[in-house]
Amino acid sequence: MATTTPLTAPAQAPEERRSTGNHAGRSKSELLSLYAAISPFYILFAIFGLFPIGFSLYLSFQNWNGIGAMRFVGLAQYQFMLSDPIFWKSIVNTFQIWFISTIPMLFFALVIAFMLNQQIRGRSAYRIAYFIPNVTSIVAIAIIFGSIFSNNFGLLNAALEGLHLDTVEWLNTPWGIKVAIAAMVIWRWTGYNAIIYLAGLQAIPTELYEAAKVDGANLWQVFFRITVPLLRPIILFTVITSTIGGMQLFTEPQVLVGNGGGPGSEGSTMVLYLYQQAFINNQFGYGAAIGWGLFVIMILFSLINWRLVQGAGNRGSRKGVRA
Amino acid sequence: MAPNRRTFLAAASGLLGTALLGTSGCGARGSYLTPEGTISLWYWNRSISDTLLAKTPKATGVRLVPQKIGGDFKSKFLTSLAGKAYIPDIVGLNEDVATYFPDADQFVDLFDVGAKDVESEFLDWKWQRGVTPDGRMVGFPMDTGPTALFYRADLFEKAGLPSEPDQVAQAMDTWEKYLEAGSTLVKKMPKKTYMMPNVDMVYNQALAQQGKRYMDEKNKFIGDGPQVREPWDLAVDAYRRRITSNTNDWTSDWNAAMSTGRVASFVGAVWMGQVLTDAASGTAGKWRVCRAPGGAGNSGGSFLGIPKSCRDPEAAFKVIRYLQSPENQVVYGLNEMQLYPSAIAAIDDRRAQVKDKFYGGQVINEVFGTSAKAVKPVYLSPYDNVVGPAFSDQITNIWSAGKNPDRAWKDALTEADRQLSHLGLI
Amino acid sequence: MNATATQRVWSVVTHVLLLFGVAISIFPFYWMFVMASRTTEDIFKFPPELLPGTHLLENIGKVFDSVNLLGSTANTIFVAVVTTVLVLFFDSIAAFAFAKFDFPAKNLLFVVLLVTFMIPSQLSTVPSFVIMANFGWVGSFQALIVPGAVNAFGIFLLRQYAQGAVSAELLDAARIDGCNFWRQYWHVAVPLLRPALAFLGIFTFINAWNDYFWPLVVLIDPGRQTLQVALSQLNGLYNTDYSMVMAGTLLAVIPLIIVFFLGARQFLADLAAGAVKQ
Repeated sequence: MATTTPLTAPAQAPEERRSTGNHAGRSKSELLSLYAAISPFYILFAIFGLFPIGFSLYLSFQNWNGIGAMRFVGLAQYQFMLSDPIFWKSIVNTFQIWFISTIPMLFFALVIAFMLNQQIRGRSAYRIAYFIPNVTSIVAIAIIFGSIFSNNFGLLNAALEGLHLDTVEWLNTPWGIKVAIAAMVIWRWTGYNAIIYLAGLQAIPTELYEAAKVDGANLWQVFFRITVPLLRPIILFTVITSTIGGMQLFTEPQVLVGNGGGPGSEGSTMVLYLYQQAFINNQFGYGAAIGWGLFVIMILFSLINWRLVQGAGNRGSRKGVRA
Repeated sequence: MAPNRRTFLAAASGLLGTALLGTSGCGARGSYLTPEGTISLWYWNRSISDTLLAKTPKATGVRLVPQKIGGDFKSKFLTSLAGKAYIPDIVGLNEDVATYFPDADQFVDLFDVGAKDVESEFLDWKWQRGVTPDGRMVGFPMDTGPTALFYRADLFEKAGLPSEPDQVAQAMDTWEKYLEAGSTLVKKMPKKTYMMPNVDMVYNQALAQQGKRYMDEKNKFIGDGPQVREPWDLAVDAYRRRITSNTNDWTSDWNAAMSTGRVASFVGAVWMGQVLTDAASGTAGKWRVCRAPGGAGNSGGSFLGIPKSCRDPEAAFKVIRYLQSPENQVVYGLNEMQLYPSAIAAIDDRRAQVKDKFYGGQVINEVFGTSAKAVKPVYLSPYDNVVGPAFSDQITNIWSAGKNPDRAWKDALTEADRQLSHLGLI
Repeated sequence: MNATATQRVWSVVTHVLLLFGVAISIFPFYWMFVMASRTTEDIFKFPPELLPGTHLLENIGKVFDSVNLLGSTANTIFVAVVTTVLVLFFDSIAAFAFAKFDFPAKNLLFVVLLVTFMIPSQLSTVPSFVIMANFGWVGSFQALIVPGAVNAFGIFLLRQYAQGAVSAELLDAARIDGCNFWRQYWHVAVPLLRPALAFLGIFTFINAWNDYFWPLVVLIDPGRQTLQVALSQLNGLYNTDYSMVMAGTLLAVIPLIIVFFLGARQFLADLAAGAVKQ
């Protein structure tokens, strides 16, 4: 690590600009290579992605139970969707769960990665331990979390009772359900994000830290002035993927509280609701309409997100360069 | 690199062409799960005995290929139907067999392959549930779920309630008396012992005893009638008495509640006994079963259907008849898999009258057999899955969020109305 | 002296914090082992049993009796390995092109890529099945491998990483030496991207391993099942033998931990190698 030269330093804005400067001299064969390099994704998407998208768009204008004939209903599915309280509720639920899971998750991940990146003994073992939640099958985890949050018999309530505190009916109350789902998400994905951050951190040359130390920076300053700005592209990545993952949250609530989302549909997320309508209620047309509603919401939300993080990132890196 | 790329592009464009050609769905027709000359069957784990399935080809002369499907069975089946490809020749259908009624033409009418000949062998109400209002038979009876009251005799005794099955059945023959006994038990027993696991159970089980449900045979909504309102009021009563532990069904919480004795009783189908013995074997000998308050009801049970694409409906029906013969329902269904029979002779069979240690040596089939024969025929509509939650969700709102019951009832009717208009039924 | 003391205190604090996190991470996993080694009834005792029991072998035996564990594990290894290799290759070349080069319509294409990432897969189950049926791929592993051979997630991950880790100077130097795009990719980008590739490889492998719904829908032949599909058969119609399910899950997880362990070591070794190369 210590011998890494500054050559491997994370490229910042100026270097990117330099690489784009070469654009003019790019030969035809090189352009061809570039398009060839990115083409597999678009080809596979054209085959396996476009048709399903078109089909689901078509479906969203139909009434179809998946078995018999389709019946064209125009915009009726969308109209119904806009007046469907559970649809709106599932949107609110999704955002609430996203919020209470993503922020602690990314924060803990960053702190863990930062700690693991110190010259610390047993780093490899720690890494494995933190990643383990991500390898286990979600169904088993649901049983375990079910018994942790279980209303009358769960470990958590046993602990509360032991401390002479009031117990909480976690899986029967609106916030309890969301906290339980968020806890599952945090538990599963914190280590995963920490490992991503760690991979990024290891590309930051130790000289930077040593220089900061010489300048008398404390750990806090090192974290916010060096680690966070240099990790910006990776942080952006985790923010975007956690947003998309959070908006598509499905398995955790399904296995924890069932297809209906538990009492009061408080655990129903957008994708779970889509699945329930299509495959449980045999309403494929309505399911497709929900899918498109969800898609629009995600695009809007991701744009806002991207703007926020990217904007902050540009400012941050410019500052970093000047310093 | 280059050759790789070229082959890949060639392959991909070939695939794209096929995809465009194939979107009509025609290309897939004639795709089957198993070789020509065989019959494929989709079933769940523990819905048909594997021993029996192994014997079937020899017994029927049909080359049967059983395929056990785990997890999201219905999603897989619906995907096959929607994609019109790789549909099994015989398929297990759940209690919601009526959801396939609007598309009964996608199934072989079992009356066409000789189902009529064995009709008298089966419980009439069960048989009727597999037949559409215009007389096409979609689902052939498998197991049933007659209901009864499961209770802890020791806890009932401690609470000063009757504890022998006959006495309990008599003292709690109506839901009102059962709920009243619940209040007594909760008062007499230490804190956190409850009469029943949840409020929803009262609603669902009382509803399962009715002769009507949410829709009539013409798919007209009747869910505002007394057959729904009475169970609703009973559930509200159970909620007000605070005699439930608010433990949801199908959760580890439920299993734990039974295992630790915090819940003294529940009304449930015969197959709940299996869940109970697995979860609470430590309480063996303390449980009893008796006639449910409010009378006989049914909850759960399955069917076998033959999708239209079946290659040999006659052979498929032969298999179904064999698998569900009264003899096999006793030997392989009930005694091997704890699946309660739908054939009358199987219920009455000597081999079904077994003393069960878990219930203190009680012959529980006496209770369930009586219940099974007394279930009222009821029309379960294709839309119960959609309309039912409008009511049951509101019941949950009452006990979990303290919602005003009158408001909840009004909201349930509004929601049912909204769902029905979405379905185009009103 | 004072500085070392502070450092030591800090190191202890770090370890304590990390170990606390590890405990939370591991506990459910440990509990899974406890459940797998007990009877289903034990699982629902209250207060719960916190120590492993003696039924592990019995439960594992039940799993072996119920499903074709070895065959389905072999199938899963095949699918997961092929998918991972394809994903690593296709994703990394695309990511390298997006991160370090400019070409017409690049931004638009990248936005399209990100947008595709937002389509919930549940939406496309039925049409995807129709496609597979038309290709005649239902029941074959192609139906699992080909659509998953390249993905937006990995391209996005590697692109973000490459922006930082692959310096323009090195690429310029390589270009002056006459390296074309593919040689730059192979000789410059791949070595520098290794930590991220190791991560993506592990992650892809795990996802392919644990994937359940699509394999369930598209595989039909019991001899060609993946592990998760086979394990899903353990659930009964009306009841579930939880301790058996836990034992099955445990068996399914062990290979993943081995893969991760190997991957993590690779990941560490590579950093050293990269440093030496400089």
